[in-house]
Amino acid sequence: MLKVDNINVYYGNIHAIKDVSFEVNEGEIVTLIGANGAGKSTILKTISGLLRTKTGDVILKGESIKSVAPHKIVAKGLAHVPEGRRVFLAMSVEENLEMGAYTQPASSIAPNMQEVFQWFPRLKERRRQMAGTLSGGEQQMLAMGRAMMSGAKVLLLDEPSMGLSPLLVKEIFEIITELNKRGMTILLVEQNAQMALSVAQRAYVLETGRIIMQGSAAELLNDDSVRKAYLGA
Amino acid sequence: MSLISQIISQLVNGLQSGSIYALVALGYSMVYGIILLLNFAHGDIIMIGAYVVFYAMTSFSLPPLVAVLLAVIACTLLGALIEKVAYTPLRSAPRLSLLITAIGVSFLLENGAQLVFGAGAKNVPSFIDGGVQIGDVYLSYVSVVTILVSVASMVVLTFLVQKTKLGKAMRAVSEDMGAAQLMGISLNRTISFTFAVGSALAGIGSVLYICAYGQASPTMGSMLGLKAFVAAVLGGIGSIPGAMIGGFVIGLLEALVTAVGLSTWKDGVVFAVLIVVLLVKPTGILGRQITEKV
Repeated sequence: MLKVDNINVYYGNIHAIKDVSFEVNEGEIVTLIGANGAGKSTILKTISGLLRTKTGDVILKGESIKSVAPHKIVAKGLAHVPEGRRVFLAMSVEENLEMGAYTQPASSIAPNMQEVFQWFPRLKERRRQMAGTLSGGEQQMLAMGRAMMSGAKVLLLDEPSMGLSPLLVKEIFEIITELNKRGMTILLVEQNAQMALSVAQRAYVLETGRIIMQGSAAELLNDDSVRKAYLGA
Repeated sequence: MSLISQIISQLVNGLQSGSIYALVALGYSMVYGIILLLNFAHGDIIMIGAYVVFYAMTSFSLPPLVAVLLAVIACTLLGALIEKVAYTPLRSAPRLSLLITAIGVSFLLENGAQLVFGAGAKNVPSFIDGGVQIGDVYLSYVSVVTILVSVASMVVLTFLVQKTKLGKAMRAVSEDMGAAQLMGISLNRTISFTFAVGSALAGIGSVLYICAYGQASPTMGSMLGLKAFVAAVLGGIGSIPGAMIGGFVIGLLEALVTAVGLSTWKDGVVFAVLIVVLLVKPTGILGRQITEKV
């Protein structure tokens, strides 16, 4: 479904991502775990087109998207929920969701919004409120709902648990699992490795821009070095 | 003339010039809101609009309404063209390069106009004559039309920005360019659209300016542009309602200064406002200050 093949990404002279390759199969949840600054978000931004790779390729459904403009990648069925949510604070919940459906025909907005409201009933209650007045958890729900409005088949989630209470983290991860069960392919980036490994099927461990380990989520959960470095055990 | 009617006449004068400032300030503010550029060529777009009206009416003897439409269309296209040619290639350049380029475009337009149209001012035939006497207040039709057209333009603009898909995309891009792209919004299209809308408003402003002052000259845009810029800063640059308020405030302030007999100080007072705003409240009256929740 999504294949990242030997990418190298630079910020000016800084070599941020080094020879990274991985794959996400249709219907999978794959997680990239790693410490702050390991390059997780950089990889997601490269996939969604906000950053460019110097080498290699990014392939979505068999088609290279490494030189496609970010706004056109969305239309190909890939949505990116960025780190820190980045909802439009000065726009209402409804308007944020409409923006998520920017590439979709106007007729699909109402039914898609109803579906998002079923996933996140709290957004329905607050539909006319400015996104800037929502709590962190609600903003995360809005960011995810907004991405779902695009009709995407592949979802990139960047730190959905960041800054949320344990209860909310649990709620968000239940939704991620449920979305996946209904056919959504998900690439999940998390610092909360415990949580990420518990929902993912496979995982890659990233350290200073390089993949240093990969395997099934269960394997990595029980791996001693992973437990020491990322699970605090 | 009683004091009251004098106050009313000055208010009308202030609202008239204020609405022109407001229309021009909107273009500054919208463009700043979206790409953080102080587009100093914006004032000169007005000058081009004024010449279009002049030539359409004198050389081609077109009816005023057609001349007006041509001016608005010319300004819209020119604004979008400047954006494409001068600013798009600098999308990822530092902001200072953009600013310098804007000043360069401004010089190019002013000097180009001197070359093509001549350095002297052209008298544009007036096409809104007369007025109406209410008590001892004389209301010229030009003032009435100017205020009505400006307010109507602002209503249309507000609808455009609040309710239409492109308008919402504009707001999204101006708040978070990256996130907007992730929604599938094309930056280039949205930015071009913003320039086009801002320049269309400048076109309307140029026509109203000509109605009031009856002259087109190559440098007319610079003072008008600078004052509109002050209005945009006063209202809070980047804010659309702010630009409207700022425009009217500057217009009324000028009228007030004139009314107390200090008309030669008019320009100085406007720029003093800029200094005070920058010292006291740089974000202006309605400047954006959204606290981000984490």
